[in-house]
Amino acid sequence: MSRVDPAAVRAVVRKDLLAATRSKAVVLPMLMVPVLLLVVLPAVVALGAGRGTTADISSFLDQLPGELAAPVARLPQREQLVVLVNGYLLAPLFLIVPLMVSSVLAADAFAGEKERRTLETLLHLPITGRDLFLAKLLGAFLPAVAVSWAGFVCFAVVANAVAWPVLHRLYVPTWLWLVVIVWVGPAVAALGLGVMVRVSARAKTAQEANQIGGVVVLPLIVLAVGQSTGLLLVEVPVAIAIGGLVWAVAGALCWRGARRFTRDQLATRL
Amino acid sequence: MLEAVDLSRAFDGRVALDGLGLEADAGEVVVLLGPNGAGKTTTVRLLNGVLLPDRGCSRVLGLDPATSGDQLRRRTGVLTESAGLDDRLSARQNLAAAAAIRGIRGNEAERRITGSLERFGMGHRADVALQGASTGERKRVALAGALLHEPEVLFLDEPTSGLDPTATRDVIDLIADLTRTRGSTVVLCTHLLPEAGRLASRMAVLDRGRLRAYGRPDELAAALWPGLAVDLDLGGPATPPVLGVVHGCRGVLGVEAAASGARVRVEDREAVPAVVAALVAADVAVYGATPRPATLEDVYFALQGEPSPAAPDGTG
Ligand SMILES: Nc1ncnc2c1ncn2[C@@H]1O[C@H](COP(=O)(O)OP(=O)(O)OP(=O)(O)O)[C@@H](O)[C@H]1O
Ligand SMILES: [Mg+2]
Repeated sequence: MSRVDPAAVRAVVRKDLLAATRSKAVVLPMLMVPVLLLVVLPAVVALGAGRGTTADISSFLDQLPGELAAPVARLPQREQLVVLVNGYLLAPLFLIVPLMVSSVLAADAFAGEKERRTLETLLHLPITGRDLFLAKLLGAFLPAVAVSWAGFVCFAVVANAVAWPVLHRLYVPTWLWLVVIVWVGPAVAALGLGVMVRVSARAKTAQEANQIGGVVVLPLIVLAVGQSTGLLLVEVPVAIAIGGLVWAVAGALCWRGARRFTRDQLATRL
Repeated sequence: MLEAVDLSRAFDGRVALDGLGLEADAGEVVVLLGPNGAGKTTTVRLLNGVLLPDRGCSRVLGLDPATSGDQLRRRTGVLTESAGLDDRLSARQNLAAAAAIRGIRGNEAERRITGSLERFGMGHRADVALQGASTGERKRVALAGALLHEPEVLFLDEPTSGLDPTATRDVIDLIADLTRTRGSTVVLCTHLLPEAGRLASRMAVLDRGRLRAYGRPDELAAALWPGLAVDLDLGGPATPPVLGVVHGCRGVLGVEAAASGARVRVEDREAVPAVVAALVAADVAVYGATPRPATLEDVYFALQGEPSPAAPDGTG
């Protein structure tokens, strides 16, 4: 096995990202979703709490697993809603961001390359199939993690700032948030990537890949939403375990994708 | 230098290339001809190690494309059929990516990209996104990219399709120049027979994946038509007695009447003065004698089994 050529990998990543930022179909969802989820939503919740519209959520808290509900239930009632939503419920929902960014970029990198007929040029260059695959993975994975982390920083600032009049302290990140950001988020980004690598092998255009991917990715989103509404609300150790599982599935998908990612197979499907 | 033996490849059981055999020396231009779907693009992909053969093998620059592909691709340049550029990027950005993968970076890359784009008349459009660029403009940018690293072997898949006449002529001159001054070897796929004729040191005629003929155009012509055709301008169609006079001369292989005289097939050009002398001696006015060496076009059509517009013996 030859050594990885970092310069070649970097060149492909840079080119893909540069091109992706010029494409509305890629940039718009990458901006809109994080802004809505991580800035607008927490602000609305926190502002609502500040207005004194203190919904009684004790009956809801009763349904939650004891250990999870306890830190929230202990708080004064006017603080409960904002801490519950911004401190806990939004954390799983946040996973939509890395999932979406990585799958949109991967669809553009794998299926989009075929669609634009630029793949053949690339195959005629001195870059190994393995390095090319690596570049395509990194080109989707790194931005997904970067966008989600940047989004989280915005979220933390907004959530804490807007809720300050009510809480007079910092309440984000919670431990659950930290696990989600550092461990589960990147795993989910890798999962979106693994799915899109498989899907893109069959799809002819990036749009098609996104549509087929949606069949797989959407249920995951629904799951994330389900979690956030409390149905599947998890505790920290469970979140760590889920992250591990997602990493394993993502790894398996990418590994299988890599084995099919040979020059000859790519050139056959040009 | 460039060699293929029994090179074959099928897709889903459908044969795209069947038993191709080629060889060429450094500095030669190998022209791949043949109707759509003949297997030209497949040949290029196999020779540059992008596709793997089902059977047979090849060597380019002493390397086996199937096993030393990346080593080989460092030294080859390819212009693909569709220019293969990202429309969202500028010409410079497209070329910079390819250059960086080839290990050309920084000022050196900048200098080469600018130079190469200017050489193809795209200097003024180097920094705007390619979106909206014309077919020919794209092709020029792609050509600039294929030549950036001064490749030893250049694969050009229909380089002049979509180019205007001036650009076409420039590309042909460029190919001739590259082989002459740098000793680059060129594999050229084309449908344009005159340009192929100007450049070809060797021609391969493919049809549905099979090699119909391979060799130097003049040798292929000699195999098809012995000797040399010469048009005699006699001011009008030659009469049977005149044809008899010509036929009686030494070195004449055949003769037939034509609109303005006769077309004679002679062993070689040394036979021409004797023919003219015999005609003059027989009181026949000779206005001109023009050798008509077979062109690549004639050879191509003859191999296709079709009459050529200008076949050396009038029948093709
Ligand atoms: N990846 C592929 N999958 C299936 N069939 C293919 C593939 N590539 C080529 N073929 C088939 O192989 C044959 C040769 O194709 P190729 O592209 O080499 O022809 P060509 O001589 O370049 O034609 P053109 O002049 O139209 O460019 C065609 O019948 C084509 O349909
Ligand atoms: Mg072709």
